[in-house]
Amino acid sequence: MNKTQKWILWAVLLTILALYPIVFGIYYSNVFVTFAIFALFAVTLNLLLGYTGLLSFGHAMFFGTGGYGTAIALEHIEGLPLLPAVLIGVLAAVALALILCPIMVRVSGTAFAMLHLAFGQLMYVLALKLRVITGGEDGVGGFPIPPFSIPGILSIDMTNPLNFYYFAIAVLGLSIWFIWYFTKTPLGSVMVSVRDNDNRVAYMGFMVPQTKAIIYVLAAAFAGVAGSIYALFQNLIAAGDGFHILVSFAPIMMVMVGGIGSFFGPIMGAAIFGIIEELTSRYTERVELVMGLILILVIMFAPLGFLGFLRYIKERWFGKRPDMTTTEDVA
Amino acid sequence: MNILETRAITHDFSGLQVLLDVNLEVKAGERHAIIGPNGAGKTTLFNVITGTYRPSEGEVFFKGKDITGFKPHKLVRLGMGRSFQITSTFSRMTAFQNIRMGILSKRGIRFNMFRILDKMQDVTAETDEVLKRINLDGERNVPAGMLSYGKSRSLEISMAMATDPELVMLDEPTAGMSKDETHHAVELIRRLTEGKTLVIIEHDMDVVFSLADRITVLHLGTILASGAPADIRADQAVKDAYLGEMEV
Ligand SMILES: Nc1ncnc2c1ncn2[C@@H]1O[C@H](COP(=O)(O)OP(=O)(O)OP(=O)(O)O)[C@@H](O)[C@H]1O
Ligand SMILES: [Mg+2]
Repeated sequence: MNKTQKWILWAVLLTILALYPIVFGIYYSNVFVTFAIFALFAVTLNLLLGYTGLLSFGHAMFFGTGGYGTAIALEHIEGLPLLPAVLIGVLAAVALALILCPIMVRVSGTAFAMLHLAFGQLMYVLALKLRVITGGEDGVGGFPIPPFSIPGILSIDMTNPLNFYYFAIAVLGLSIWFIWYFTKTPLGSVMVSVRDNDNRVAYMGFMVPQTKAIIYVLAAAFAGVAGSIYALFQNLIAAGDGFHILVSFAPIMMVMVGGIGSFFGPIMGAAIFGIIEELTSRYTERVELVMGLILILVIMFAPLGFLGFLRYIKERWFGKRPDMTTTEDVA
Repeated sequence: MNILETRAITHDFSGLQVLLDVNLEVKAGERHAIIGPNGAGKTTLFNVITGTYRPSEGEVFFKGKDITGFKPHKLVRLGMGRSFQITSTFSRMTAFQNIRMGILSKRGIRFNMFRILDKMQDVTAETDEVLKRINLDGERNVPAGMLSYGKSRSLEISMAMATDPELVMLDEPTAGMSKDETHHAVELIRRLTEGKTLVIIEHDMDVVFSLADRITVLHLGTILASGAPADIRADQAVKDAYLGEMEV
């Protein structure tokens, strides 16, 4: 793809995103925001799972901490502007990651997964029990949503769903772009080599724990962004949406279904889940049942997920060999 | 001057004595072979020198500096490089990407997250140069795990040298190779270690006697003999313990 084509593609994409709420209306705009939140969340999990080879059963704790951070800040600090509120949520998630990472960068495999399960559950219980701060089961809700403002220049009302759509898509889109960029940098390539063979990485002169720590904090920070936007979007964050074990499992399933082998697989997975949820929830309460079934089918018949399946079809029917020169194929 | 020295290295794995009072001396610029029967402790000695384990007792000196217990990444930065007996490449990354890791390390690019790696022309150029030198330019974009055995061994050896170390430690680089592949590998090693110090563990006596300036024989965790190839060939104890059975 040359430069002009790239620009055209970007222009088309941005136009679609800009016109989407106008064409489809507010209901589907909100569906799209939910999708985008989980797309970013899944991408951050994939940074650990797909790129670094670390399976976490507690990624929700960063999502939840981001959400609670923003919500509690807005509840207590009068006149707190929008972006600082998001930033507080992100910093809360980063702080949690910094506390955990001295342990987490030294374990992998089952220990990594189980420690996250444990800490994730701990956060869930804390959110329920620290009623004074977290509001217990009801969570933190009804906090003021500040306008997006640049003092003296403009102030955009964020309680308007259309405005919020543009704000959320911009923040989430930029975050995903940033993570994509990161995977292409030298540190991003060290990350992939850690997954392949962490022992050899050390013997090539790289510091494995420090590298893992940076990736871990980065994944937590952007999971925090997703959580923060989620709290603003719902004007509510509760233990059930923020810290529940299913919130940890959702991005794992999205990554598996979309395709663990590429950067865009998790986004695809989030889209598939969004669509399925939208369709099945009209007929049944048992959305998880359908999701679980799909996951089973994917694991059995398309272990590289939806994108892996597409690539396979392309190879089989069009005789195209996958392009090995790009670092995009992480599997 | 000794570039590498171990002083009274002793190592045991929870009671199992594997190395006992090993005093290895490697002079700067020499090609030093370590030979000995299976289980003699050769790989363990490498592991103790390169930071996989801290020795139970004794010290390791590199370029006159006490490096006992240093971590691998630190030793690489001091100028040590090693390969593994069992191929240990980045199997899902291409040959190019494997070598590039070494080039990045050599250039001190370790935590950069602000530039796109594929656009760093100088890194790409240097990596391609290395690939050409080791005859892997044809396999540039093949994942390391899909290379032929001989080629993956070449990659294994070259990764140890991609960081441009002063001291290269190769653990049975020709293990499992055909006669032809072995010949090519020896030529490659000879070429790449020009001007460097080489410590090589090797079972193939043709390789040892064609490559080495000095030989150390390890047997049951202790040094049986150490000296010039001719002396080792003539040494009765070595013949009894090792060379005799190999019919040199
Ligand atoms: N991590 C370990 N834990 C316990 N025992 C070990 C460990 N590594 C090696 N050993 C034992 O130490 C002894 C020496 O092993 P080492 O791998 O150093 O031998 P070697 O000389 O490299 O042999 P080979 O020629 O077969 O590669 C063997 O008896 C081996 O079983
Ligand atoms: Mg060995």
